[in-house]
Amino acid sequence: MGIVPGLIKGLGITAKTGLKTVFPDGIKKPVPAPSRGAVTVQYPHEKEAPTNRARGVIALHEENCTACMLCARECPDWCIYIEGHKYLAPPRREGGKPRSKNALDRFDIDYSLCMYCGICVEVCPFEALFWSPEYEFSEPKIADLLHDKERLGEWMHTVPEFEAYESGSEAKVKKVPTT
Amino acid sequence: MTATAGSEREQLAYIAAKAADSRVNVELETEGMTLNIGPQHPATHGTLRIVAKLDGEQVISADPVMGYMHRGYEKLTEVRTYPQVTTLINRIDWLGSFANEVPFILAAEKLMEVEAPPRAVWIRTILFEMSRIANNLLGLGDMAAQLGAVTPVFYAFRDREYVLNQVEAVTGGRFHPNFDRIGGLKDDIPAGWIASTKDSMIKMRQAADELESLVFGNEIFTTRTRGIGIIPAEVALEYGMSGSNLRGSGVDWDLRRDSPWGLAYDQADWKVWTHPDGDSYSRAWVRLQEMREGTYIVDQLLDSLPSGPVMAKVPRIIKVPEGEAWVETENPLGAMGYYIVSKGDLVPFRVKIRSASFNNIAIVPWVLKGVYVPDIISILASLYFILGDIDR
Repeated sequence: MGIVPGLIKGLGITAKTGLKTVFPDGIKKPVPAPSRGAVTVQYPHEKEAPTNRARGVIALHEENCTACMLCARECPDWCIYIEGHKYLAPPRREGGKPRSKNALDRFDIDYSLCMYCGICVEVCPFEALFWSPEYEFSEPKIADLLHDKERLGEWMHTVPEFEAYESGSEAKVKKVPTT
Repeated sequence: MTATAGSEREQLAYIAAKAADSRVNVELETEGMTLNIGPQHPATHGTLRIVAKLDGEQVISADPVMGYMHRGYEKLTEVRTYPQVTTLINRIDWLGSFANEVPFILAAEKLMEVEAPPRAVWIRTILFEMSRIANNLLGLGDMAAQLGAVTPVFYAFRDREYVLNQVEAVTGGRFHPNFDRIGGLKDDIPAGWIASTKDSMIKMRQAADELESLVFGNEIFTTRTRGIGIIPAEVALEYGMSGSNLRGSGVDWDLRRDSPWGLAYDQADWKVWTHPDGDSYSRAWVRLQEMREGTYIVDQLLDSLPSGPVMAKVPRIIKVPEGEAWVETENPLGAMGYYIVSKGDLVPFRVKIRSASFNNIAIVPWVLKGVYVPDIISILASLYFILGDIDR
């Protein structure tokens, strides 16, 4: 076994991949954009689309939230802060009793602590929390990573529709509420 | 003893030579050097420190010092409810994190006497095997990088994305799926996933072939790994090694085949790969074969995926009845097990995590004794441990 054959073969593989990257359409037609043949993505200029289920950021549909605190309790590192109060809404019918309703005063998620596990989205019994694949919310200051309910509500329009399931599945496709 | 005059003279000469030798040794008393490999070193996959005492180029003793990344997961699980625990234990072996959840969930299911529906078991096994493929691929690329080959590690990172994209498409997380639940899975697979996974498995087989010709056909790689760091089967068993490292020593022991409880490995036709040599090369070779075998397992299980629900009937608030359970599975790095003690509470009373890398690096003092300094890297890379798996 000589030193040469394996090394030459390895160099050949590397060179072939290199050529494919620089000349994706053959050696006679050089492509100006370097990222055509490359697998890397030139990030700020072009973006990869995350999958539908990707856990990027949590969106809050405020109308559905009743401040039941289930998500705050189930969070593994307790990074959800909720405050709410009850108020009496006028009755639906004439002469009825006033209804007791829950209003949300504060709903904060501290993304500097969040582990992106998705337990809060899963335990929410009223479908007020959703995952959005949006990922660009880094901040220069760590305190700005605390998203309040207005900011969490803004993510709501980025929430994709739930995908259909593979054949053989018995799960029901949920719907994203529209405001 | 028949002493003749000639031999007497020879004896005297021998003694004189010995005395001279010892005098020289006293004069040139060589002092051992202590070399700290790590805690920050690319060869340690994190923050493992290896204190190596050297005599020239040879290692006299090497002691792994661990605990730089200890996160206290065994203690943290005692104050987390069962669904919260899977979030934490995802982060033990971060390259094959879905595999970490499975033994814990299986142990909790054993205590609760819940059985996951077949579709959930199948998907679990598929994702389990995909995490093995991703893990082994990166391990091989990383090993080549540590031995001086720059290209394979980039190819490994590139090709691993095909698996991770599939994992993300179904679980929502590339590295921390948090997809396993007591009694089944969080969700079913999305439409079109089976076809795209089959495509990615074809790409993984191509990646395995490419890696084989690029790394295993390379003469430099072969010279640096063949006959280096030989661990005989008995020693490997005594030190409690498991996984590809044990099979690289020729021990035919695989929990996927030997105790497939809770997973669907017995439903596929596959082979346990072993290599009789026990050196660095054989460990890497077994890893490559297992990666390729994993793609076949995934293909077969995708074909036979049963229909039905993915979640058994479990209460919304999970309370695990009193008792103890121990479940061990064959994770990418080796045998990983969870011993759960429950007092019938919302949280486990005690969780003992047996992770593979902790036992796999126990052999480091034995195997590094007497080797040359450049071989340390080759041996450590072939043992392929992940620090999160050691320190927990």
